[in-house]
Amino acid sequence: MKFYVCIKQVPDVNAPLQIKDGQLIQDADRNILNAYDASAVEEALVLSEKHGGEVEVVLAGPEKAKETLRKALAMGADKGTHIVTNGDEEFDSYSYAKILAKFFSDKEYDFISCGKQSQDTDAGLTGPMLAELLNLPYATNAVGLEYSDGSILVKRQGDAGQEMIELPSPGLVTCSNDMNDPRIPSLKGIMQSKRKPVDTISLDDFAADAASEEVKTKVLGFEEKPKREPGKKYEGEPEEIAREVAKLLDSEENVI
Amino acid sequence: MSTLLTVISVNDGKIKRSSLEVLSRCNELAEANGLTSAALVVDANAGEIAEQLKSYGPDAIYTIENPIFKNHLNTPVLKALSIAVDHINPQLVAFASTESSKDILGALAANKEAGALSDMSEFELTENGVKGKRPVMASKIISSVEATGTPVIISVRSGSYDVVEKSSDASVEAIDFSFNEEELRITLKEIISSSSDRVDLSEAEVVVAAGRGVKDEEGRNMISELASVLNAGIGASRALTEAGDYDPSLQIGQTGKVVSPQLYIGVAISGAIQHVAGMANSKVIVAINKDPDAPIFDIADYGLVGDLYKILPPFIEELKKIKQN
Ligand SMILES: Cc1cc2nc3c(=O)[nH]c(=O)nc-3n(C[C@H](O)[C@H](O)[C@H](O)COP(=O)(O)OP(=O)(O)OC[C@H]3O[C@@H](n4cnc5c(N)ncnc54)[C@H](O)[C@@H]3O)c2cc1C
Ligand SMILES: Nc1ncnc2c1ncn2[C@@H]1O[C@H](COP(=O)(O)O)[C@@H](O)[C@H]1O
Repeated sequence: MKFYVCIKQVPDVNAPLQIKDGQLIQDADRNILNAYDASAVEEALVLSEKHGGEVEVVLAGPEKAKETLRKALAMGADKGTHIVTNGDEEFDSYSYAKILAKFFSDKEYDFISCGKQSQDTDAGLTGPMLAELLNLPYATNAVGLEYSDGSILVKRQGDAGQEMIELPSPGLVTCSNDMNDPRIPSLKGIMQSKRKPVDTISLDDFAADAASEEVKTKVLGFEEKPKREPGKKYEGEPEEIAREVAKLLDSEENVI
Repeated sequence: MSTLLTVISVNDGKIKRSSLEVLSRCNELAEANGLTSAALVVDANAGEIAEQLKSYGPDAIYTIENPIFKNHLNTPVLKALSIAVDHINPQLVAFASTESSKDILGALAANKEAGALSDMSEFELTENGVKGKRPVMASKIISSVEATGTPVIISVRSGSYDVVEKSSDASVEAIDFSFNEEELRITLKEIISSSSDRVDLSEAEVVVAAGRGVKDEEGRNMISELASVLNAGIGASRALTEAGDYDPSLQIGQTGKVVSPQLYIGVAISGAIQHVAGMANSKVIVAINKDPDAPIFDIADYGLVGDLYKILPPFIEELKKIKQN
């Protein structure tokens, strides 16, 4: 079974942020493997360990994103491809979907997996876009995967309940971080990752057409989310504060 | 005349409030700009739903009715939407942001080579597209975004607009649609759990959310009792859905659902940004936490510092008294 996992480097949402002149400034420039992609890598590794197979990762991003590719290799992926971008392009999900579609156009695989969304933008578009561009059947928001007889059984989180979907090969699945706890690379894994093959291709040589098309969505700027007025803290006798707040929710807020 | 098309989400034969919010906004934009606001229902009982829609003011209603839509499956839904978009030729296709619309938004956009913006909290029309706002960085930051071209495809977070009732005598047009087995490609094997008998979390007026500190059956019983006194939807943090104590569809936050109730009560939830991303727009926030420095207190209107096992019993008792009067 051959799995390709599309992984993205994203800014760490937990790192301190500032907005200057409508631009988002990350004080420490801390970047990480998208959490949803880490779950996708983990699950592909689990399935290939159980059923035999190979896991390749592919990332489109600037030079510095190579560390993220290495992280996935250190987790256990067999091989990586880095499609190197300048880093200053204003790409949206569709741009990346087109770049990835170009990459996959001459590849053979059983399954492609993506994260269900980027942790920084929460767009959630690239996976289904890529599936449509490659004309693949797909399932999104997977919280569990099982392999049997050439298909994967996807447990996906729907609006009300969970749906079990049989996805034939070749197919595409997008993964939720509710699927598993991604492994932390071991020291051995980190050492081995340095010897694993990484194909580096420049975006300009490879998918200039895909990338140079007009981007249909743009980010115009950023602003702080309006802060909520700080409320009141009630400390003291549990019995008293409980009754007091219950009464206020009725008399002051009218929400009971 | 150009059309703004709202795709209606249906749950258990009922129109989801979040899609009426989107329709109300599209009605308003259509009126202000001399455009048509149309609603599209893709459902096993689309005709019935269309009748209900007449109380919410669209200028035109389209239906695609087929038994295949009884359960959500992306292949037939995508085909139906693609046919509808070709038929109606709208300048905007707007969805409520739900797991079902997230499932197909990107594919529809790629199919129509359209610009797509998901999970918007505000939107308006521009000369050649749409602009608006969407939360990013786990909802700590708001970004202004723009999409150009025809159509533009968007989804809108629940709670972003009010539902405005307005009766309409819109015509209902059924769009031709057929679907055969071979086109399915994916197979729905089973629906594992369904929380349809409970209060729908994303539409609940009151939400009681349990966090890691709710650690045993006694605690969960208190949560249930509190929810039942307030007729509230029960939600949970990832800590508890991950542990299997609560159904995964009840997770509130970046990975889970966005809620915007009148009253949110977080019980033993620390207030991690990924959780707050899903509830920060609640009107009144109450937090119960034994750690006075828990980040949830930074956004709570009423912060009760203390042990949930000591606070909840008198809290529930007092609420019962209020309810009885
Ligand atoms: C990409 C990503 C997406 C995520 N998406 C989500 C999401 O959608 N939803 C979500 O919830 N999380 C999400 N998380 C996880 C999130 O970061 C937190 O780990 C999670 O919300 C913590 O849950 P908690 O507050 O219940 O637990 P904790 O952080 O462990 O907090 C428990 C709190 O309970 C208090 N407490 C304990 N016992 C008692 C008691 N007896 N009485 C009163 N208070 C008590 C403690 O003081 C503490 O503040 C996501 C994380 C990532 C990386
Ligand atoms: N530059 C990229 N390189 C590789 N995969 C990507 C890239 N951008 C997006 N993806 C994939 O698409 C998912 C996120 O889609 P989106 O939320 O639309 O940005 C990620 O979890 C990845 O699996």
